[in-house]
Amino acid sequence: MAPQQTLLIILLAPLVSATLIALFGRKNGLLSASISVLSAGIQMVLTLSILFGNWSGDAITCSYEWLKLGALDVNLGFYLTPLAGLLLFVVTFVGFCIHVFSIGYSDDDEARGRFFGGLSIFMFSMTGIVLSANLFMIFIFWELVGFSSYMLIGHYLFKQSAANAAKKAFIVNRVGDFGFLVGIIWCFWHYGTTDLATLQSILVGSPMLATGTATAIALCLFCGVLGKSAQMPLHVWLPDAMEGPTPVSALIHAATMVAAGVYLLGRIWFVYTPDALNVVAFIGTITACYAAFCAFGVKDIKKILAYSTLSQLGYLVAAFALGTLYATQHGDHGLTGVGTAHFHLTTHAFFKALMFLGAGSVIHACHHEQDLFKMGGLLKRMPITSITFLVGVIAISGIPPFAGFYSKDAILYLAQQENSVIFYALTATAFLTALYMGRLFFVAFLGKARSEHVEHAKESSFVMWLPLVVLAVCSVLGGFEGFYPEALKHFLEANVLHPEGEAHHQMLIMSLCLGLGGLLVAFLIYMKPAKRGSDTLETKVPVVFNVLKGRLYFDEIYNYYVAKIQQRFAYVVSFLEQTFIQRLFVRGSGALTSVIGTMVRSVNNGNVQAYVFWFLIGLVLFWVFAIGGF
Amino acid sequence: MFDILFYIFAALTVLTAILIPICRNPVNGAMFMIASFVGTACLFVLLEAYFLAILQIMVYAGAIIVLFLFIIMLLNVDKVKHLRPSIVAQVAALFALLILSLGVGSLFLSGAANPMPEISVDSTASMARNFGYLLFTKYMLPFQVSGFLLLVSMIGVILLSKKLPVTTTKVGEDA
Amino acid sequence: MNVGLESYLIVSGILFSVGFFGVILRKNALVMLMCLELMLNASNLALVAFSRYNATPENNMMDGNTFVFFIITVAAAEVAVGLAIIVQLFRHSRTSMVDEFNTLKD
Repeated sequence: MAPQQTLLIILLAPLVSATLIALFGRKNGLLSASISVLSAGIQMVLTLSILFGNWSGDAITCSYEWLKLGALDVNLGFYLTPLAGLLLFVVTFVGFCIHVFSIGYSDDDEARGRFFGGLSIFMFSMTGIVLSANLFMIFIFWELVGFSSYMLIGHYLFKQSAANAAKKAFIVNRVGDFGFLVGIIWCFWHYGTTDLATLQSILVGSPMLATGTATAIALCLFCGVLGKSAQMPLHVWLPDAMEGPTPVSALIHAATMVAAGVYLLGRIWFVYTPDALNVVAFIGTITACYAAFCAFGVKDIKKILAYSTLSQLGYLVAAFALGTLYATQHGDHGLTGVGTAHFHLTTHAFFKALMFLGAGSVIHACHHEQDLFKMGGLLKRMPITSITFLVGVIAISGIPPFAGFYSKDAILYLAQQENSVIFYALTATAFLTALYMGRLFFVAFLGKARSEHVEHAKESSFVMWLPLVVLAVCSVLGGFEGFYPEALKHFLEANVLHPEGEAHHQMLIMSLCLGLGGLLVAFLIYMKPAKRGSDTLETKVPVVFNVLKGRLYFDEIYNYYVAKIQQRFAYVVSFLEQTFIQRLFVRGSGALTSVIGTMVRSVNNGNVQAYVFWFLIGLVLFWVFAIGGF
Repeated sequence: MFDILFYIFAALTVLTAILIPICRNPVNGAMFMIASFVGTACLFVLLEAYFLAILQIMVYAGAIIVLFLFIIMLLNVDKVKHLRPSIVAQVAALFALLILSLGVGSLFLSGAANPMPEISVDSTASMARNFGYLLFTKYMLPFQVSGFLLLVSMIGVILLSKKLPVTTTKVGEDA
Repeated sequence: MNVGLESYLIVSGILFSVGFFGVILRKNALVMLMCLELMLNASNLALVAFSRYNATPENNMMDGNTFVFFIITVAAAEVAVGLAIIVQLFRHSRTSMVDEFNTLKD
């Protein structure tokens, strides 16, 4: 079977699954679960068959003409490069693990059918983004992913907070997507095409990139990344999105959808000028630092993980920018930034999904208890979950030989080469990462149980701990390039910058210090609180804690803006619309037609002789016409 | 000689025609109409369309006017006291007069028809035969269709003149 | 003979106008129908005149005459149906004045 057909099946399998669930599986939860898991499994198997099956790494393309309006050509097609292959692997593999986990997690959920339907729609949309060949098609699937996210965040229909969070996520994404759309249109206008392969051949090394327009286009396209990957200032939706069920948080808001922004950057890396890249690098770094600080001010286990994701996303975006800058300066391998960022994206997907699923396992076992400081002593009660969670924590802290070390190492090395300020910021953030992850692990899993539900927690079922184990193994092995199939291996080897020689030793020692040091400090601070069940930072240094809890008041500022400023503007516009468009044009034209109609109708007065007279007039008109008088 | 005949017959036709809408008694109107049709038939004879002249008298004067007279008697139409067309009708008639006179006048003035003398044609004795020839070859379809049309109108008239079924009203008899 | 074609056409035109005025100015349906017949008659006259004046020695143009034949047929059928309608209307509303039949106005 040709690879294009395989790709088509990979794309359409979850869509078929969602349709079947919508038609037949609404009431029958087990049926929906099996259909959805089956489709995820098909996706994973077919992806692995392409990747492991003698693929040399050349791009696989196919294209189908959809719209042709004058100069505008919108095609639908696939464009499978090694980068796309890597992300397809991540999406389908992690997706499959999460689907299996969800079978166990959703066993007490009444709307199981709707849940799996939403998961299937999401897999379809995400696969679409990965495989798309041009910017318009990416935008279509981008919006679909936003819709799936909305549907899944608001899954618990009867919680008002969930509905609010879903609305917030969608609206904030919409703001970003507006900039994205402007960028796509401008890109088409300026460069003449939105097809990725064509753009690459036009733009690499081209002098067109030296203009301000090119920077502006690049930044507009970056707006989409701001929304979807929750960079500052559009980061406000991600912590609230934790209202959705935990497998959703794992799949969408940790591993794949938020990574779609970084993937977009990877696909259009050649559009970026050095000026735009500087801006991107700073935004990424600021996001990373900010999120790491905020993680200390929250007590909900999922919110901590959400801020951790936010921080790592900042890392990814900064890595991309720094790497591409590095590449343009060193004249070769424009894909350095892309490769480094996506390497970290892959390892992050593994350990973040692992930690979210671990948190889900804990939450499920503790009857939906989510406050960190009510948990404790879970190591004894849920051993498999705890051990795998520990693997995740070590991986994110960047301790060798776990996966996180290699990818984070590469990023820090790049930062050191490029920009000292960013390097120090990212290093500090790495320390803070280890610190808050340590806080989470020690408080939740060690010590004694602090509440009723937690006392009675026991290990989850087989379908729930099996994916945890699989992901833990990947977190350990994912740092080694041998783990990946042939085509991806070449891509990673060529494009991820690893420090050599002495720099290698330096980075190794630094990472060890940061990681272990962070965990140690966390242990010291949080294991012996003043009062049982309280946060040490809160009790000892309340000022700092409250500042961090405020999170720089982004939400409050946005609320004020929407309520006071935008709402008033909307009223003005509404008034204008009512008066002019509604009354003058709509009703006015209707009234005009009505008046003309009444005038014309008055000819029909029921008098036969009048009709005869009108016949004569018509005859005269014909006669004049026949003479040629008109 | 023929000129004088033309003027006499034309005068007959036009004068009796003018009297038709003016008359107060419809029976008189029907009589005037017969006279007008006879005048027209004479004009047809002058134009050497003898068959048509006979046809005009037989069908028009003989059948159609008789039908009119039957219906006038049936409906028992009275004499109108005064002819009073409404103001609107008068204005409309004036306007129509203007237009029609314009039309007729332009016809007269354009010289479209030069006063050329009539061209005599041969074989006028076989006029009916020529007629029949055309009717059965070139105008065969209109001929059949007009037969069909007569059938349809006959059926229509029979249906239309059926008496309406008497409906019994619950609230006494109304006029 | 110097009676030209336009003389016949003037006669025809006058007949047509008279018929038209009759239709507009009279209110009795029967008289209106009679004036309508007058208009048809006028056009018959015009057709026969054209038919005669456009004939050449080789070609005896009988088309106008044939047309008149059909017009007479159709006029007869139309009068029959028209009178049947007037009779029905008369049975319905006991009058044959045209301005009484105005229920179809807007």
